[in-house]
Amino acid sequence: MIPIPRKGTPERARLIAEHKACIESMKGVAGCTILRCATPGDTTEVSGGIHEDLLLNRVLIRMRTAMPKNGKGKLVVICTEPDKSWRIGRLSGVRGVPPTFVGDKIYDNEQDPQHDIFVMRLDEMTETDGMPEHFHEGWKRRDDNWTVT
Amino acid sequence: MGAMRLTGYADLFGVNPGKTIRFHVNCDGPKKYKAEIVKMINGDTNPRGPGLVEKPIRAACNGEYDGRKQAIHSGSYGYVEDKPHLHLDSFTMQCWIWPTTPKTHPKYWRHGAQGLMGKWCNGKGYGLFLNEAGCIELRVNDEKISTGAPVRDHAWHFIAATYDGKTGEAVLYHEPQIAYALDPAIPPVKKKLGVAIDNPKGVPFTVACYAGKLDKGALAKSSKPAGIVMGGHYNGKIDSPRLCRTALSRQDIETMKLGAQPGLTERRHCGPTGDLAKVIVGSWDFADGIDTIIGRDHGPYLYDLQIVNCPTRAMTGHNFSGHNFDWKHAPKEYGAIHFHDDDIDDARWDVDFEWQVPENQPSAYYAAKLTTKEGDEDYIPFWVVPEVGKATAKIAMMVPTISYMAYANEHLANNAGGAELLVYRVPIMQDQNMFLSEHREYGGSIYDTHTDGSGICLSSRLRPILSIRPKYDHFLMQAPWQYPADLHLICWLETMGYKYDCITDEDVTYDGLARLEQYNVIITGSHPEHNSGPQLDALHNYTQRGGRLMYMGADAWYWIHSYHPAYDHLGRGIVTEMRRCESGIRTWRADPGEYYHQGTGELGGMWRYRGRYLHSVAGTGMSSEGFDISSYYSRTEESNDPRVAWAFDGIGYDEKLGNFGFVGGGAAGTELDIVDTMLGSPPHTLVVATSAGRHTEAYLLVMEDYGFSQQGIDGTQHPRVRSDIAYHETPNGGACFAFSSIAFCGSLPWNNCQNNISKLVGNVLNRFMKDGPLPPPPASAIKHRGRADYEPATNKVAK
Repeated sequence: MIPIPRKGTPERARLIAEHKACIESMKGVAGCTILRCATPGDTTEVSGGIHEDLLLNRVLIRMRTAMPKNGKGKLVVICTEPDKSWRIGRLSGVRGVPPTFVGDKIYDNEQDPQHDIFVMRLDEMTETDGMPEHFHEGWKRRDDNWTVT
Repeated sequence: MGAMRLTGYADLFGVNPGKTIRFHVNCDGPKKYKAEIVKMINGDTNPRGPGLVEKPIRAACNGEYDGRKQAIHSGSYGYVEDKPHLHLDSFTMQCWIWPTTPKTHPKYWRHGAQGLMGKWCNGKGYGLFLNEAGCIELRVNDEKISTGAPVRDHAWHFIAATYDGKTGEAVLYHEPQIAYALDPAIPPVKKKLGVAIDNPKGVPFTVACYAGKLDKGALAKSSKPAGIVMGGHYNGKIDSPRLCRTALSRQDIETMKLGAQPGLTERRHCGPTGDLAKVIVGSWDFADGIDTIIGRDHGPYLYDLQIVNCPTRAMTGHNFSGHNFDWKHAPKEYGAIHFHDDDIDDARWDVDFEWQVPENQPSAYYAAKLTTKEGDEDYIPFWVVPEVGKATAKIAMMVPTISYMAYANEHLANNAGGAELLVYRVPIMQDQNMFLSEHREYGGSIYDTHTDGSGICLSSRLRPILSIRPKYDHFLMQAPWQYPADLHLICWLETMGYKYDCITDEDVTYDGLARLEQYNVIITGSHPEHNSGPQLDALHNYTQRGGRLMYMGADAWYWIHSYHPAYDHLGRGIVTEMRRCESGIRTWRADPGEYYHQGTGELGGMWRYRGRYLHSVAGTGMSSEGFDISSYYSRTEESNDPRVAWAFDGIGYDEKLGNFGFVGGGAAGTELDIVDTMLGSPPHTLVVATSAGRHTEAYLLVMEDYGFSQQGIDGTQHPRVRSDIAYHETPNGGACFAFSSIAFCGSLPWNNCQNNISKLVGNVLNRFMKDGPLPPPPASAIKHRGRADYEPATNKVAK
């Protein structure tokens, strides 16, 4: 697996900057991906992001695949008022227990929380996430949370 | 954020003018709520579009109503009402179980002991349980004995318990079907309890739960039987439960596994032996009546179980041999019912108000809009549908209600962390998702797994369905999906001034061609993925007889559905069933031997694997899906063919078609269909526009199109990851136009419907809606064409 870039490295700074630029350009799109719109809010021409930065591409896929090793659930975005406000939340992983909010930040658009979650995950994941030293019994029992609904 | 204190459903999806529709409302808190009938025109609140558009309708039911709480009692089980022979001094209970959640998280929504079988309530009676520690437990009144051995989940176990009222001795057996090398032995547990069974009056004998409480309160009215609220809902399979009125020896218990054996000429008893026949109280065979909601008792008293909340049947039993996959051919191997604590077949709420629809009420999308002064809000959608023979328009919108039911109350964004891989970003949850993540009793969608992790293959419309709502963005696209997405199309029809009737999947399934042949053109929704066989028959019959079909989306005609006949007495299309079988886009996968529908006995899965290729219905079929952003189309040279060039009147050849929209930002997106003459597209199909080469890495080829896991299947690489807008003629002046993208309709209302997608669809609709057959194609177009062996030049024409 490709290591998760450590804090303070130029790779990490590059990924954060590229991710941010993509997210900024997606504002106004009824959807979202980590690519740059040539015209902000318009998906006619897209480039960069996951199509051109291999490390960003792989790190994002690993973040989506992985269950957090800190025993917490996965991060989600929660729309608290349609078209107006959004917050970051964390899934409980237990049926019948709803997600809980993480932090107090309230967003005025649906794209920015995507970026903050990306940065939170860079902080939460270790460089060797998913490698043999992290083995635990859950590996034998599909604890990857795919697809638990 | 609202707590969704206001929810409701109607007894009908489609109501005929002159008939009455009834509304069931839960108003949990506010004293009053207001109900108004509205015509739904647009449900998308995207600030770049027209916003929510609804028109108030004058209706006799409009007004203020008293609010009251109504509860859903989900969780499936079987029960026999209290009978004298169920009052026992001694007993033997036995059954096979395949538990799925023997131990649950302390915060799990229904954490606690699970009832397997018995007649027990509040410390009185007898019952077999799985206790909180996941061990088999016998209860005689409030005495409990347990093996102390946790049962293995997802494995078969034979369990039995005896109690001798004279000696006061109880014996508990737990015998796993499979013993691994390091499993400890589980000896029978014997204990002298020395109590007389206190048989509670009025408490039913239950399977897969226990009687929680007898309750005269209003909220218990929607339980079944009314007034008895069940507790301890069991998750897992139960096979061959038996109840005898003596404490049997282990050997007799073994013989009793055979169950009652009635039917032989020389037999004068119910078997399996003369002595055992004398002591049988009940011997249930779930292989009998798989297509019903009855658990048949083959014992002498015919204590059939009423099965509540539609658990999954046609499930492999403890003796499944793997030779027959169709339960109809090997019923004895399908003696298991899989019960779930979140099964729901009918909320059974009281009616709060009703509306007699006026005879002259136009056909359309409607909703009962519910609001409170405190700011609560809900919409209960329904459709006014003309009776057969009373069509009021040349155009019919075929509302994909089976697909709406398949997606009903989906939980994919709630706890499916891996769903991020599908949508290529972090899911966004709305009020509806948050509410459902807590209120599992509202049931899930056919995309979800039950709370025990097994797939949901049944969906009822007699419950509040929070995903069939305006103002609801689906996590898949951060945009409208299904119901609200189809309102994009309705918004366009209304804005452009077309007159149309609405008909539902139910209507087409039950009325067949009679429903369709009244119209010159049928318009589909954006994603009619789930279909019954009679519906596909009707569509084929229609297009073959000269009908015109506008397929406005993608990933249609994909999954096999059937309405469960056991609910016919409640109306049309109450419960729909689907199995996710050998291939296709599956959020869960059926286990071996569990591919056949319990309701109709037909093989489930994809229509493709029943030899009914999806491309054969309207010319294109699903090839890829991705849920990040959408793209646009370019015309092909085939769009200049005189057979179809009329569709592009007023549209330049080099125009970008649909590089705008309210679903992913473009007309080509989410799930995409292509022409494939090897998979049922007629060989004369013209591809008039395509989005080839424009999709992101999030778009992936469907798995049924390749045989092994491989690279190169995403939108930046694979040639089949594209959407083809396609046209073909059908006999007798009919035709199909396939727009082949779920996002497509999201472009129609863009810029107040002034755009090239609107122009294209308008050109097609104007031609298709005319009376009489379509103009014939040029004589030169009549020629022999192969499927695989066509010559490329054959299907092309010069500009």
